[in-house]
Amino acid sequence: MSGNIELLAAVLFPFLAAFVSYLIGRANKQLRDRFVQGSVIAEMLLILWCVLSYFQNGMLELTVQDFCMQGLYFKMDGFRVLYGTIAALMWMMTGIFSREYFAHYRNRNRYYLFYLVTLGATIGVFLSGDLYTTFIFFEIMSLTSFVWVVHDEKEAAMKAGNIYLAIAIIGGMVLLMGLFLLYNATGTLRMDEIHEAVTAVMDTKRIQIYAAGACMLFGFGAKAGMFPVHIWLPMAHPVAPAPASALLSGVLTKSGVFGILIVSAEIFRHDPSWGMLVLFLGVVTMFGGALIALFSVDLKRTLACSSMSQIGFILVGTGMMELLGEENALAVRGTILHMVNHSMIKLVLFMAAGVVYMNLHALNLNEIRGFGKRKPLLKGMFLMGALSIGGVPGWSGYVSKTLLHESIVEYAHELAHHGEPTLWIHVIEWVFLFTGGMTLAYMTKLFAAVFLEENLTRQKEFDAKKKYMNRESVFAIGVPTILLVILGFTPYLTMNRLADLAQGFLYGVSPEHAVHYFSLENLKGAVISLIIGSVVYFGFIRTCLMAKNANGQKEYIEVVPNVDLWEQQLEHLSLKGLLTTAVASIAALIDHMKPMLLVVDLSIAVTGFFSMVLDHFVDSVVLFFRSTTHRSKTELHLDLIGSRVSRTLGRFLDSIVKVLNVTVLRNNPRTKSFVVTFAEREDILKKTNRMISASLSFGLLLTVLGLAFTMIYLLTSIL
Amino acid sequence: MNINTLLVFPVVLPILGGALMPLLHLPDKKRNLYLEILVLLTSAITLYCVAFHDPAEGFVLFHLTGNLDFALRLDGMGSVFTCIVALLWPLATLYAFEYMRHEERTTSFFAFYTCTYGVTLGIAMSKNLLTMYLFYELLTLISVYLVMHPMTKKAIRASLSYLYYSIGGAAFAFISLVFIIRYGMGNTFTYGGVLGSAGVGGNSNLTLLIYLMAFWGFGVKAAVFPFQGWLPKASVAPTPVTALLHAVAVVKAGAFAVMRLTYYCFGPDVIRGTWAHYAVMAIAMITIIYGSTIAVKETHFKRRLAYSTVSNLSYILLGATMMSPLGLLAGLSHMVIHAVMKIGAFFGAGAVLHQTGKEYIDELDGIGYRMPVVFVTFTIFSLSLTGIPLFGGFISKWNIAAAAMDCGRDFPFAYAAVAVLLYSALMTGIYTMTIVVRAWFPGKGEAVSGGKEIRDPSWHMKLPLILFAVVIIVLGVWSVPLMRVLGDIAGGLY
Repeated sequence: MSGNIELLAAVLFPFLAAFVSYLIGRANKQLRDRFVQGSVIAEMLLILWCVLSYFQNGMLELTVQDFCMQGLYFKMDGFRVLYGTIAALMWMMTGIFSREYFAHYRNRNRYYLFYLVTLGATIGVFLSGDLYTTFIFFEIMSLTSFVWVVHDEKEAAMKAGNIYLAIAIIGGMVLLMGLFLLYNATGTLRMDEIHEAVTAVMDTKRIQIYAAGACMLFGFGAKAGMFPVHIWLPMAHPVAPAPASALLSGVLTKSGVFGILIVSAEIFRHDPSWGMLVLFLGVVTMFGGALIALFSVDLKRTLACSSMSQIGFILVGTGMMELLGEENALAVRGTILHMVNHSMIKLVLFMAAGVVYMNLHALNLNEIRGFGKRKPLLKGMFLMGALSIGGVPGWSGYVSKTLLHESIVEYAHELAHHGEPTLWIHVIEWVFLFTGGMTLAYMTKLFAAVFLEENLTRQKEFDAKKKYMNRESVFAIGVPTILLVILGFTPYLTMNRLADLAQGFLYGVSPEHAVHYFSLENLKGAVISLIIGSVVYFGFIRTCLMAKNANGQKEYIEVVPNVDLWEQQLEHLSLKGLLTTAVASIAALIDHMKPMLLVVDLSIAVTGFFSMVLDHFVDSVVLFFRSTTHRSKTELHLDLIGSRVSRTLGRFLDSIVKVLNVTVLRNNPRTKSFVVTFAEREDILKKTNRMISASLSFGLLLTVLGLAFTMIYLLTSIL
Repeated sequence: MNINTLLVFPVVLPILGGALMPLLHLPDKKRNLYLEILVLLTSAITLYCVAFHDPAEGFVLFHLTGNLDFALRLDGMGSVFTCIVALLWPLATLYAFEYMRHEERTTSFFAFYTCTYGVTLGIAMSKNLLTMYLFYELLTLISVYLVMHPMTKKAIRASLSYLYYSIGGAAFAFISLVFIIRYGMGNTFTYGGVLGSAGVGGNSNLTLLIYLMAFWGFGVKAAVFPFQGWLPKASVAPTPVTALLHAVAVVKAGAFAVMRLTYYCFGPDVIRGTWAHYAVMAIAMITIIYGSTIAVKETHFKRRLAYSTVSNLSYILLGATMMSPLGLLAGLSHMVIHAVMKIGAFFGAGAVLHQTGKEYIDELDGIGYRMPVVFVTFTIFSLSLTGIPLFGGFISKWNIAAAAMDCGRDFPFAYAAVAVLLYSALMTGIYTMTIVVRAWFPGKGEAVSGGKEIRDPSWHMKLPLILFAVVIIVLGVWSVPLMRVLGDIAGGLY
């Protein structure tokens, strides 16, 4: 082991704290809760120590030889500084929030154990300097976070958990296969060596490298929530407890993105065909996630779908980064900043949703409607998150989305400059803007429902609730909210610096002339999105996704497209209904696409069938011979030896029969031996005798006979 | 006394001691003490031999005829198997005392159980093919009783099927014995094979055919397809038998014999790249797929583990069929690690059976909270079986895949092995995790029936479980010394 010991402390400490917290929790629950809060703060301090030493001495490194055979390698440079800090910060805030949120939960000890272990694993992923290390911590993180998803142990949670676990295992294995292919081709997994090694063998082993890349994209993408392996995300994030949802959405998906970034930046640096693949998947993820979010009537589920969509934005940035080649500064910076923004935003939003759930134990928009109407603090914090994710100018999301948008525009210019077709990139640009609009629309839907509208039945009860969260929770949600606002209001001072810090990781260089975030050109994109957003909200959500209930009040409806609904719509033939059903069908298609699970089921079915057929292959061969050539002879049972008399008699008759067989009975010879016949007869006789002598009636008979003889004797003696 | 003379004791001591035991008519407690001392003594002598023996000479027990010796020797590969057996047996015996407490005919059970120890060591310590073959046959005959022990109709049928399969396999193996003795340069195990490039009388196809038959013959004990049927059936035997014999001693003896045959008799060079190479690799792959798929469908706890053993044994063989030192290393490492994790998993299943009488997986909802030690360790073994990093299983699977990638350069068929490993890892994940998830996450209001009286077993059972779990984690995070030793052995250094 050699290098900076701080890194080891930062990775190892949460693992140790996890077990200590478990032991404490068995004795004293109050103390345990405090200890967990203390540990996450301590971890934050440890990370800050690392960060400090990075700014003083430059890159930190740590090698642990022989650990898990191949050894571990950690390092901390620009991007890792940024994301290590963000991960620790998010854990700190959720940790502080958890005490109140979990006050009435069961199995908290189990939760906290895995909560802290996952922290260690996540820090390990973000500080890893070779893919082997990444993989090891990635697997630990996948499995331990499963416990979060199923924490409730309700049916929905168990179902989501099973799918989560299946995808985690499949993703992990496919990722491992990708690492094998890569290692086999290049002989190294060190991130700083891969690029050279890949370039050296790219010509001879192109297919293998691309196969490796595809496997790794699959594995990392499964965690990131990338289409088409996103299916677990909209199921698992909402059922987990709110602090865990915040981490799942804010950090764990980013660990997948981290992997995709490494694959893109190191293995396929500036490779346009790879860029096209990631871009395409990113666009589908981005659009699909937003589409599902529109239809959701569950607060946390909408946020989860939104996460998927935002990951799509980040992937679009990654794709553009590849396509733009050397001049990819905009895309690189947009990608990184959007990751940061999304982490912070989801931290705020999910914890705010947690506050709602903590008080009402409900998440359906109709039930929680109006909860925050007269709660200005919660309303304000949620609003900051919503404005930021919606990309409204002045908030942080606007900056990163602008950068991403600019990179698309730049690529379009470049294509036009080279005289290549540009239609497709304009389509992507419009999908990008349209998705931005949808983001605004579904965030407005949530905000309006929870914070502006009146609840139909329980508004008084809601307003009476003054103590809906304690000071710790206010602190936990407030700090990230303030950070978000600072980021958004001072982009040149803060966000540019963050981008400068981290861009080296993706081989970006600072742009030649600084980007003016609030120039007319850039504002135009945001305005277009705003317009689209309001059109979608007022023209679609408020008209098609809300309907009057029996009392004539408007309610949010959940459109579940199925055959019945289609028939109904076709009968009435209203444009509104058909449109809603059609769009909902597309959303459902994206949501319920389960190719992965289908593959698993199918492979089990097919191999299972063959295995069953082959199961008793040898047994049936043995059985076949036993029943044909090697059948035991039925005639000579050992217990049918017979007595000496029957044998002698039988043999005597047999010899006579032998003679008769060749003479008289020639045409119809007798084959069965008399020995056996007699033995059988004798056996039957014996058995019958035994049966008779054992029976009651035989006993009675004997008694009667005895009486009769006695009587006859008495009679004769008298006579 | 010459150190090599000591080699006789590990073989003879348990066999004689076990055979004598029923004659002594000891009360249970004294008998257990006697047995544990006997087993520990044997293990101690064995380990002493491993540490200080002189592999060059060996020890000749007697001459049969001509150059046919009945001889013992401990070389590198033998030491690996010897160590596995010698370290696991005392712990398994400890576990068996507790497990068999309420069973009948325990004295005869333990007599046979201990005899098996000596015979297994005999296989590990054989100097030549002939000796190994004789011990191999003996192992069949002695261990049949152990399967039969419950004396139910099912058990007797299972033991008969075990007997048919094993004797049939031995017949195939015998053919190879004859050819090796006739055409090889002596039948002493020599790294790289004794057959030379000429093969059997210069007829390469005949050589390969005989190799294939021998592979199947010795492979019967390693439950290689299509001779895997006996193993799941044999899980009716008491758990100490299924755990130790049908996850370690007997089945590993099969895998060990195949490795001996491949690397020390025929020689990997003779087989590499031929049709027989395709054949044996395909057999191993089919068995892996078969075993892990059926395990997913099986709902009986011990039988599921038995199918898992079927597939894991073929991991070892798959490693071995890479026909390279790297492959042998992979096979040996999985042999060691699988031995520990599977015996542990079986002990867990046995503990559940012993404490609660529950045999089926769907009865285990929430049982983890009632039997925490058993299920924490079982979770560790499950993760290890699946091949999650930080646990031993990951290391050996990594080795197998690395060997496959290496072999694939010249022999592209080996790349399929990686895909098979992937598929099997997924299935393993499913069939182990369903148990773990059930045990820890029962869902609301459907915890295990039986309530409070279900609890962890006594220390006899817990101690082995905890030790095995620790070993798995230690091997998982710090396996380099072990791998270095195994690598040297696989390279023919010892």
